[in-house]
Amino acid sequence: MGATLRALRALVLLLGFYLLSLVLLAALAGVDVLVFSWGHGPLTAKVGFVTVLLAIPVVRGMLMLRTPKGEDPPGLPVTDADEPRLWALVRELAAAAGTRAPDRILLTGEVNASVSEDPRLLGLLPGPRRLTLGVPLLIGLTEAQLRSVLAHEFGHFTGGDTRLSALVVRGRVQIGRVIGQFHAKADGKVAADRARQERASAKRVAKGRKAKEIDTTGVGATYRTMARIYTAYGKLYLRASLSTARGQEYAADLTAARIAGRDATASALREIPALSASHDFYVDSYATLGLHARLLPPRGEFFGGFGRLLTAREPEPAGLRAELPEMPVGPYDSHPPIADRVRRIEALPADGRTDEARGSALTLLTDPERTLGALEDAVLLDELLACPRAAGWEELLNASMAAGLSATTTPLHRALTAYTGQPATLSALLDLIDDGRLWRLAERLPLSEQAAAAKGRAFREFVRPALLGSLRTMVLAEFSACSLLTWEFSWTSPATVRLPGWETGAGDDSPEAELDAALEAAVADHPDTTRLRALLPPAVQNA
Amino acid sequence: MTVLFWILGILAVPTAVFLLWLLWVFLKELFSPSPDDGDTDADAEAARAAKAAAKLGLLPAERQNTELAAPLPEQWTAALAAVRGGDWQPAADLLAAVGRDWERRSALAYQLADRAAEEDAWLLAWEAARPDDPDAAVVRARSTVILAWKIRGAKAAKYTTREQAEGFHRTLTAARADVARAAALNPDDPTPFVAEIWVALGLGYPNARMDELWTEITSRAPHHYEAHFSALQYWCAKWRGSERLAREFAERAAAGAPLGSLLTVLPLIAHFEHDESDDTEADNTPEMRARVEAALADAAAADPSHPRLPELRHLLAYYLHLQGRNEAALEQFRLVDGHVNALPWRHDSDMAGYYCRVRNTTVALAEEAATAGV
Repeated sequence: MGATLRALRALVLLLGFYLLSLVLLAALAGVDVLVFSWGHGPLTAKVGFVTVLLAIPVVRGMLMLRTPKGEDPPGLPVTDADEPRLWALVRELAAAAGTRAPDRILLTGEVNASVSEDPRLLGLLPGPRRLTLGVPLLIGLTEAQLRSVLAHEFGHFTGGDTRLSALVVRGRVQIGRVIGQFHAKADGKVAADRARQERASAKRVAKGRKAKEIDTTGVGATYRTMARIYTAYGKLYLRASLSTARGQEYAADLTAARIAGRDATASALREIPALSASHDFYVDSYATLGLHARLLPPRGEFFGGFGRLLTAREPEPAGLRAELPEMPVGPYDSHPPIADRVRRIEALPADGRTDEARGSALTLLTDPERTLGALEDAVLLDELLACPRAAGWEELLNASMAAGLSATTTPLHRALTAYTGQPATLSALLDLIDDGRLWRLAERLPLSEQAAAAKGRAFREFVRPALLGSLRTMVLAEFSACSLLTWEFSWTSPATVRLPGWETGAGDDSPEAELDAALEAAVADHPDTTRLRALLPPAVQNA
Repeated sequence: MTVLFWILGILAVPTAVFLLWLLWVFLKELFSPSPDDGDTDADAEAARAAKAAAKLGLLPAERQNTELAAPLPEQWTAALAAVRGGDWQPAADLLAAVGRDWERRSALAYQLADRAAEEDAWLLAWEAARPDDPDAAVVRARSTVILAWKIRGAKAAKYTTREQAEGFHRTLTAARADVARAAALNPDDPTPFVAEIWVALGLGYPNARMDELWTEITSRAPHHYEAHFSALQYWCAKWRGSERLAREFAERAAAGAPLGSLLTVLPLIAHFEHDESDDTEADNTPEMRARVEAALADAAAADPSHPRLPELRHLLAYYLHLQGRNEAALEQFRLVDGHVNALPWRHDSDMAGYYCRVRNTTVALAEEAATAGV
């Protein structure tokens, strides 16, 4: 389908929205006419009122012509002077794709690259173009792969996809807005009705009567019906524009393969899902590690640490890349499945460009470290930026683990508080165990049905894992409070705790094994806390 | 006006008929009430059968012991009562007296271990007093295995919670050390290995490893009842074998055992464990009839005080009944009545009720046959 035809279809679909709205308005008016000519009294008034209420969102949806301005996502704008090599690459690729280079480049913190255009006159005239480029892509891709990604994006420019998207987006936004309005009204109505019923119910209770069940089904149903009509049209709209969107992706892939080489394109497509998964993991487990301790990684490391993770875990994503993610594609997803795209690219004849530009794409930046630092300022929230910085990843880990441990309340803490009525402390727990009341205390733990039904040894077996885990946490917290605990930071495996090297006598026993044995002895059928007490910092020993 | 009366009159007729019918039912119920709970013939029959069974001195469901398959010897009961009170001495003496009667040693160790799986203070005291006593060690080994199975619960794997499964696994793994210790302390005793079969079931030993374990057992006690019973469970389709493997194992063991060893029970159990049918056709094949015959001969030849004989009788009673030999079935029922924790009743949630239903039907049919014969 040519660009003109696509433009025409987009226009027709957008006009369809107005037509649908007009038909609905006409239907509402028709109801009014019928009721006014045959109905009488209060019914007419009520029907009139309802139709007007329903007409309001429809009319508003039609009148709201302005699509929201495509706002910049949080990012760091870079000029030609800042990053001459990146700009040169971008210009070169745009020229190769036969299109105008973007006017602005915005670096972001996401695993994504995209181009957009603010066209004028409903896409009849071109407008300023913007390239958003995720720094994690620069970190994780080779230069050749980055070229492929950029060439893919410029392929969209060439196809005129970005210009037409204005129409498509307008339709999508407008329908979405009307649906949202109807749902908001319905929700508001349900909420109001619930509040009214609750007030009435409260009054009944106050008068000593039984409270009525609060029932809000049905309220807001008319609004929801209207929303449903628009949703149905919205689905049609998306489906119609979908095949186009997918076709555009394939076309852009071909452009990328032509400009950046077949192998680089295929490997970039394989790499990106793996990179995306790794990045999610990185952000969760590393970048935001110190969040509850209100501590940030050293400047530049919030994004830069991702590179260290990738280097350390080099062999791992290889597995992720080798098998393509066969994720089912939603009916309204604009992108075809990655596996499909890779297969199409790999089916192309070899072009002999296997070994180009294998260096990291990050080296395109003039001063990666400065840029990574500046990106943090541009992307992270102000309250996050206000947090102090750790001197290094180890300190970040130690601080965050210490904060986590001191804040943790285990089920055993709660059981102990419930049993003794005192704040739960380790020394109180150990005294209680010595007193032979561990299994009485254990009955206060949250128990499964089976554990609660069990007796004697079976009961103790059921609760032992929970006891052991909680006790371990409490003991570690105690060490942590005395600053006796260090954590071993690793880019490849979960943090492991390092206990101070006790003089255990038996030289080959590691403190960890010693601790485990002591913990097990403390929650054995016949508990013995001597070993554990011997390991603990003096403050608890003497308690 | 007259027309109106006519219409009303016609309409009143069905109402009047209905009211008269209600009155009749009420009067009938007043003078000859229908039986309260037994509006079906089946219930009335069941009540008659229960009465007949009671006349023969057979016990009602609520008086059946659901813990055991047969009464325990007096000394055993006394020893078990003593350990409940914390005194391990009688148990130790008894186990020592049983000596190398492996069948009885396994059974007694099981009973003691079952108590120790609940609370083991007395066993700990025993172990403390006699550190390397092989008798205490065998009770310990069995008790840890039983504890694991208590934690698992009796439900099928899919209804077993994760917590149960993990505790089961953990405890079974720990039990292996206890089993090994008990075996080392008394190298001739097959009992620790019998306990290990239940570890094999739970941890899913590969068949080859089970074969090795089996050699350990048969070299010590070639026709041990509990070992064969347990191993057959392992070979059943629901655990680590298949219907074919279970049948083969059962037939082979039964064929190779001397009369009176009670191993003729195995083919019956293998059949029972894999029989999914709702009718009695599969229980009446010539093969099954021959198996029941063989089991009858085996039971007759066995030592009457064999601790496992009642278990065979329970199954015999069941299959004799299913084969229509109710008088013979009744004979077995009378020999075992009072204790019902045995196959085929054991798996039923109401084992006493199930047992009594089948037994009562047997009584009724046997009486019917007797009157018809007269």
